[in-house]
Amino acid sequence: MTRESTPEKLVIGMDVGSTTVKAVVIDPDSKEILWSDYQRHLTKQPEKVMELLDAIQTAFPQRPFEKAGSWRMFLTGSGSGPLAKPTGAKFVQEVNAVSLAVEHLHPDVLSVIELGGQDAKIIMFKQDAKTGSKTPNASMNDKCASGTGATIDKCFLKVNAPPDMVTSLHFDDSKLHHVAAKCGVFAETDIVNLIKSGIPSNEVLCSLADAIVLQNLSVLTRGNTLQARVLLLGGPNTYLPFLQECWRLRIPQTWEERGYKYPKDVPIEELIFVPKDAQYYAALGATIFGLSESADSGVFTGMEGLVRYVTHGRKERLGESAGPPLVRASSEADEFCDLYKIPKFTPAKFEPGQVVRAAIGLDGGSTSSKAVLVDADKNILAKAYQLSEGNPLKDMKQLLAKLRSYVQDQGATLEVIGFGATGYAADVLEDTVLADVNVVETVAHMMSAVHFFGDVDVICDIGGQDIKVLFMKNGDIANFRLSNSCSAGNGMLLQAMADQFGLPVTAYAETAFKAELAPKFSYGCAVFLDTDRVNFQKEGYSKEELLAGLAQVLPKNVWQYVVQIPRLAALGTKYVLQGGTQYNMAAVKAQVDYIKERVPGAEVFVHPHTGEAGAIGAAMETLRVIKRTGKSRFIGMDAAIDLEYWTKNDEETVCHFCPNECKRTFIDAKRPDGSTSRYIAGFSCEKGTVESKDAMIALVAERKKIASQFPNIVDYESKQAFRHFYDPVPMPEAGSPIGDIEVRKGLFGIRRVEIKRPFVRSTEESWKKRKSLRIGIPRVLNIYMTAPWFRTYFEAIGIQKQNVVFSDATTEEMWVEGGKYGSIDPCYPSKVSQAHIHNLLFHHHAPDEKKPLHYIFFPILTHVNSFVSDTMDNASCPIVAGAPDVMKAAFTKEVDFFAERGIEYLDPAVSMMEPVLLARRMFEVFGPRLGITEDENDHACREAWKALTILENDVQDKGRAILETVEAENRVAILLIGRPYHSDPGLNHGIPEEFQVLGYPILSMRSIPKTREYLDRYYKEELANGTIKSPLELNHVWPENYSANSAQKVWAASFAAHHPNVVVLDLSSFKCGHDAPTYGLIDSIIDASKTPYAALHDIDANKPGGSIKIRVKTYAHSLKLHEERLTDSARRKEQLAVALDTKRLELLELKRKQLEGLKQTDSALLRQIEELAAKVKAYQAPPQAPELPKGIVQLGRKREDGTVVRVQAP
Amino acid sequence: MTQATLHTENGRAKTTEVTAKKSLPLASDLDIENELAKFEAEERARLGLDKQEKQWLETMTNAQFSAAERPKITLLIAGLTIAHDFLIEAALKGLGYNVLTLDCPTNEALRFGKEFGNRGQCNPTYFTVGNLVKFLCYLRDEKGMSSEEIVKHYCFVTAGACGPCRFGMYVTEYRKALRDAGFEGFRVILFQQTGGFSQATGDDIGLRMDFPFFTSLTKAVLAGDVINAIGYRLRPYEVEAGATDRAMEVAKKACYEAFTSKKSILFALWKAKDAFAEVKLDRLMPKPKVSIIGEFWAMTTEGDGNYQLQRFLEGEGAEADIQLVAAWLLYMLWESRNDTKNRKMLRGVDFSKYGLAELGTWGIAKREATLWAADILTRIVFQTFAHAGGLYGYHLPDMDKIAHVANDHYNNDLRGGEGHMEVGKLIQNVVMSKAHMTLSVKPFGCMPSAGVSDGVQSLITEKYPGTIFCAVETSGDGRVNFYSRVQMYLFKAKVAAIAELERVCQERGISVDQARAFLEANPRYSAALHKAPHAAAGSAADLVCEIAPLITSTRMERTVKKAKSAASASAKVLRRSPQTLAITATRAASKAQEIAGWLKEDIRTYRATRATA
Repeated sequence: MTRESTPEKLVIGMDVGSTTVKAVVIDPDSKEILWSDYQRHLTKQPEKVMELLDAIQTAFPQRPFEKAGSWRMFLTGSGSGPLAKPTGAKFVQEVNAVSLAVEHLHPDVLSVIELGGQDAKIIMFKQDAKTGSKTPNASMNDKCASGTGATIDKCFLKVNAPPDMVTSLHFDDSKLHHVAAKCGVFAETDIVNLIKSGIPSNEVLCSLADAIVLQNLSVLTRGNTLQARVLLLGGPNTYLPFLQECWRLRIPQTWEERGYKYPKDVPIEELIFVPKDAQYYAALGATIFGLSESADSGVFTGMEGLVRYVTHGRKERLGESAGPPLVRASSEADEFCDLYKIPKFTPAKFEPGQVVRAAIGLDGGSTSSKAVLVDADKNILAKAYQLSEGNPLKDMKQLLAKLRSYVQDQGATLEVIGFGATGYAADVLEDTVLADVNVVETVAHMMSAVHFFGDVDVICDIGGQDIKVLFMKNGDIANFRLSNSCSAGNGMLLQAMADQFGLPVTAYAETAFKAELAPKFSYGCAVFLDTDRVNFQKEGYSKEELLAGLAQVLPKNVWQYVVQIPRLAALGTKYVLQGGTQYNMAAVKAQVDYIKERVPGAEVFVHPHTGEAGAIGAAMETLRVIKRTGKSRFIGMDAAIDLEYWTKNDEETVCHFCPNECKRTFIDAKRPDGSTSRYIAGFSCEKGTVESKDAMIALVAERKKIASQFPNIVDYESKQAFRHFYDPVPMPEAGSPIGDIEVRKGLFGIRRVEIKRPFVRSTEESWKKRKSLRIGIPRVLNIYMTAPWFRTYFEAIGIQKQNVVFSDATTEEMWVEGGKYGSIDPCYPSKVSQAHIHNLLFHHHAPDEKKPLHYIFFPILTHVNSFVSDTMDNASCPIVAGAPDVMKAAFTKEVDFFAERGIEYLDPAVSMMEPVLLARRMFEVFGPRLGITEDENDHACREAWKALTILENDVQDKGRAILETVEAENRVAILLIGRPYHSDPGLNHGIPEEFQVLGYPILSMRSIPKTREYLDRYYKEELANGTIKSPLELNHVWPENYSANSAQKVWAASFAAHHPNVVVLDLSSFKCGHDAPTYGLIDSIIDASKTPYAALHDIDANKPGGSIKIRVKTYAHSLKLHEERLTDSARRKEQLAVALDTKRLELLELKRKQLEGLKQTDSALLRQIEELAAKVKAYQAPPQAPELPKGIVQLGRKREDGTVVRVQAP
Repeated sequence: MTQATLHTENGRAKTTEVTAKKSLPLASDLDIENELAKFEAEERARLGLDKQEKQWLETMTNAQFSAAERPKITLLIAGLTIAHDFLIEAALKGLGYNVLTLDCPTNEALRFGKEFGNRGQCNPTYFTVGNLVKFLCYLRDEKGMSSEEIVKHYCFVTAGACGPCRFGMYVTEYRKALRDAGFEGFRVILFQQTGGFSQATGDDIGLRMDFPFFTSLTKAVLAGDVINAIGYRLRPYEVEAGATDRAMEVAKKACYEAFTSKKSILFALWKAKDAFAEVKLDRLMPKPKVSIIGEFWAMTTEGDGNYQLQRFLEGEGAEADIQLVAAWLLYMLWESRNDTKNRKMLRGVDFSKYGLAELGTWGIAKREATLWAADILTRIVFQTFAHAGGLYGYHLPDMDKIAHVANDHYNNDLRGGEGHMEVGKLIQNVVMSKAHMTLSVKPFGCMPSAGVSDGVQSLITEKYPGTIFCAVETSGDGRVNFYSRVQMYLFKAKVAAIAELERVCQERGISVDQARAFLEANPRYSAALHKAPHAAAGSAADLVCEIAPLITSTRMERTVKKAKSAASASAKVLRRSPQTLAITATRAASKAQEIAGWLKEDIRTYRATRATA
């Protein structure tokens, strides 16, 4: 390029993105790029812009910037906003810039997919049929979404990919694993799990690419079809061939599915392509925009303004909005560090020949494993650390070997007195090396903290990924909170931030303490925080300030986001901080400040072995157990280190239970008795835990067997609701007399008069016609509550029972297949409706097999019936109610999928609270379509109500049987509180089953008996003091009970609080707006009554397996203690009954004696004494109750005489 | 020993057998049940069975204060636009209350809301709840008041929850946040938006929610609407920056004084008109008109809650077409009207909230008449205020039309947030060229708006190609991304506005310079309060359409044209008259018969009612 020949006025286009700055200089006449460059700005955007401007100046020496008006500049990109004013440049929004560049360079392109560092954008050019003009329609990713370059970058680091893998990797869809691409934190959690499971890095990367592509195709296209040609832009699309290949695989698949006719003779690489200089499109577009502006727009005013901005301007703007720093003076930091710094651990020294008797605690963590050696006096002798290699036996052997050599190297001998394990490796270690203790992480952490600090109130453990907060009462866990998918990754974020600024994590605190102010971050998930960080960075905050601000947000995330207890003081005053993050003194300082500000007289301790708290807890528990039992079952140090194991990883170990085809590793170890114990690694779902089809069948059979012993009403209800279980009463004969109401309308008055008239039936032909009609109903949302009503209605008007077709229960496969039609991203239960409509359209509609669907019926249920008696309203959630209209839009937008198949989609608005209106609406819809008369319609409605009542009663009967049984046996039943659709196994992720197999019966909210006769006994006090008139009231707890489902959920929590044998499992979906106001309420109710409670909030499409497991185990621990308390309480109540009867007998005897003294007799008194004496005597040698088979709840119904009769489990 | 504990004297147990024997009561005196009860209490204590089970009870509801407390209590208010809050403060002061308006919620308020609120709330809840808690904390921590004093001397007054979205349940959040922030017992006094004109009355009621209360509030809301509407109409075109804001301040002050001194609001607005009239405008700037729809609070607030969206749009060169609070009032009246209409002819009545069971024979007509009258009255008062203040040619939305156009896509029975209004407004904006761009602003994860409306809007934008529809969520952070999204669509709207002006000029045969010259010569058309009739989406295009005939034709030509048009219209009427008359007469006859039938039925009904009575 010859710079001499360039024209007089040049135009600069600068794209200041989240990671790089791209610049072009163009000739305004030819729009030819004369100069271009792009560089990573390493968060110093203005400085990098200055550098590039200098480079431009050097390249065009004849056109000095100082010469007024010789240059124009147009800026685009998320970081360019503040730079426009200081330079005189004009800001152009980046999507507009890219659109203009694409229109200019590729007039035939109709779709653009741009993945940036933080943003993902899709631009679709729509052609106006009338004018032929193209209008770009763009959509950008939500705040709550990933699918961006940053996620891919992080994944490359996590899988430890070699540098050449970026370009050499090719997309392979044969081995894909589940990765939730919904948001960066979710994706990261899944990726960590895959890596941990030993999935090869290429498979992990391909899975991520696929997830991102599918996420963008299903969400970012807002349900539209990308039209050819498709242009791929942005860093990841440009530099990652495997990502390009993934687009080229998935986009044509959507084209096929949606019947889009694309030119099949053009090679796919040309239809979906990455252009040359793709990185400069936004910068180029900005200049094209500029050229359409008047000549005085965007005139570059030179470097001075920018220099001024960099040196002074930024800071000036920060002043008011910033918060205080972590420390006011460096001396404060020093003092704090002196006080809180974790003391350096000095391992014990041994004398040669000394015999060291100690127990070992081992924590097989997700990314690393730790072991500690603890002597009988509970002194920590030595520690060992090992990065996890995905094989818990190998990790264990290496850790033990390290401990042994530490002792032996000093000439001493190690005698292991016990071995305890915690973490994900605990199960296999219990089985293979016969660990004395297998304890869940939370309990291990608790034991360790109690060991060091005695009677603590709160233990807060912050690891890289998870936050665990345990609330203590009487030396045991009273309650706990764990971070969920949305609040994970906080510790990691601090580390990642240090990395981002090129600092080792050890220098984090030192750097953050230097800040003189700090940006105020809002609490939220790691992705939101990172977005905030980018914004703050753009505002000009320095790295010191950003690090300080991020440290300060950590306690907010812990206490406000995860724990959600604003009044910290209510938890107690003694806090222990542990977990790897406590090595970062900035994080500790923020925590200590936060707690001390809110809790007067708080004592905050940092665990002295913060990283090994779990292992220490396991060791302490081991010491306790061996002391109690007097022996250890551990196979011994040498045997454990020499444990024979062999791994197998070949075609035979591939899991075929789902399309994922996980390549698993079998780790077999020889047990001491010679048998083999198998540990399976490398699977991404629980199906992979079994090695063969037979084993799978056996596992399922075993689970079923256990399940049959422990009733699960939630599961029963979810199936029964959709079955045919009631034969409606046949339609009355034509002419048979019926009662009706005639509406007589006046000008002002309306009178409803009861009349008698003959029943009107439709014609025989119409009855015949209805027999062949098939009606599809999606099995979603509040249909879970109302399905029997609609099924029976249709059956009563003559639709065959097999022709009332419900979509299948939700599965992951169903979602993957049918989840690409929506244009919005609400909660999963709502958006999964599209997969159900898809399931009906593509699977249940089978005209070729003479099984066409004629209608898809998805009623808008504005109101649903509720058992709570004093609600303000019984409205459905707006999203739930509106889903049918959203689905109608999604499936008729580009292509009318219903019309194409000859199906009519019907979504009338109905209210289950207004039976008369409901009947009218049903008739308005089906009268004309199915030829039924209004009388037939009304009869069908009456039958439908009967069916609903039958189901309600059936479920309540079963619920009562469970409740009475657990009460009689001092056991607990778990009440699932959630929304009706949480009965869907695809939405509840089988969590109720996890508890069922542990031996707890599961109750649904519907199954709680609602009769006064049953309930009054639990509400005695409130009924007596007039707080309530009926146990089914709720206003005394929550007056804003407009939402039927929310009101029922809160009432159910309140019922559990009143019933000693009912504990709560609370499920809530991600983004559930209606659950949000109830969180605090339910906490208050549960806290006041001290009911055991486990919550899994923010559940979404992906199943958080690890998180579920730890919750289930910890909750099981609490339930065990609760059952013990129940037994103790029952025993004491029994003692009281005996004492009272004995006492009464004594008093009666006394009275008898007195009467004798007066020479009187009272025959009634004597009879009473006789009866009571027999009763008291019977107490002395009570008959042995027949022992119940251990671990089995046998359902029973309590009779009036107090005996329990067994009944069949559902 | 056993005997020793048999009975007590003055609460002390007798401990020796001898004493026990001495005090052995006569058989007739031995109260076995009483003795047993005492014994049971002791045993329960010994066995640890005496602990009372605790159950949660909400104690902060049904808040009020007494008439005697009134002078000592300051009512806190907030929640609408700055102008509305200011005038509501004045209206309540005029009724004799001490009132204080909270500042427009800022990000600091959001932080308070997040700290003391439940996780997963929408940001209107965080902002509004946080704003109150922030103020109370300020009183406590900065002003040194004790929590008890604050609880005693302040109350917060707000519209009650309306369900069914989570913002509809925000009152729960107020209680939770206040309690957690240490203000247990703080009174949040609610009036129901659909509760009628008599909600809390009586001699000892501190805050009387009666007819004067609600009429004052309504007047304040409508006056605020008028001032805001004028402001948003003028500001984008003002020649001197800040002139409109100054005029608005004059108007607000005038109304404030009128409210507090119980003078005529109409007169105050009429006086304020002069201030508005003085603002110099250049309406020929082709600015995109952006119709703001979405979630009520997010589109109403003017602070950090929507990143000062309205000012941002104006700063970016757009004219913001805001939704007035009056439209919300009309929507609520429409809801009630529609619900009654849908149920009145059912063969039976339902007993739920919406059922008509309690209305009886004459109640339905009474309710319909009341709702109709309320709708008409709201419109009349608004238009009277509007004309007094200089807001000419402003049409409040026709709720039936909006419902009708939306119903096929967004069922009218779906409630929550703005219901079908968003969809209806977008369709109207496109079909009737009411705006270049429609911007739907809502909090992150807003249930009715982001969770339903936006899903349906994607179909609308498909059905009407060329629609510029921008849906944006606010979350209190991520301002840069928010602005960026708006800018993305605004760019298209700007292009459309320029193209529209060019097209209109071309079609009407004038240039912008000609138009400008005409306006200089005829200042009445460029006057601040002049409103060109609606012809296109943009104000500049409207003005061109209005003045083009005045430029391109002489007065005589225009008169002739008008006369011709009137003649042709009259001819058409005359031509059709016989037929029309015949149809009308037939209809009238049948209607008369029908009405007579209805009247007869009314008489029968009346007799039947009397007979029953």
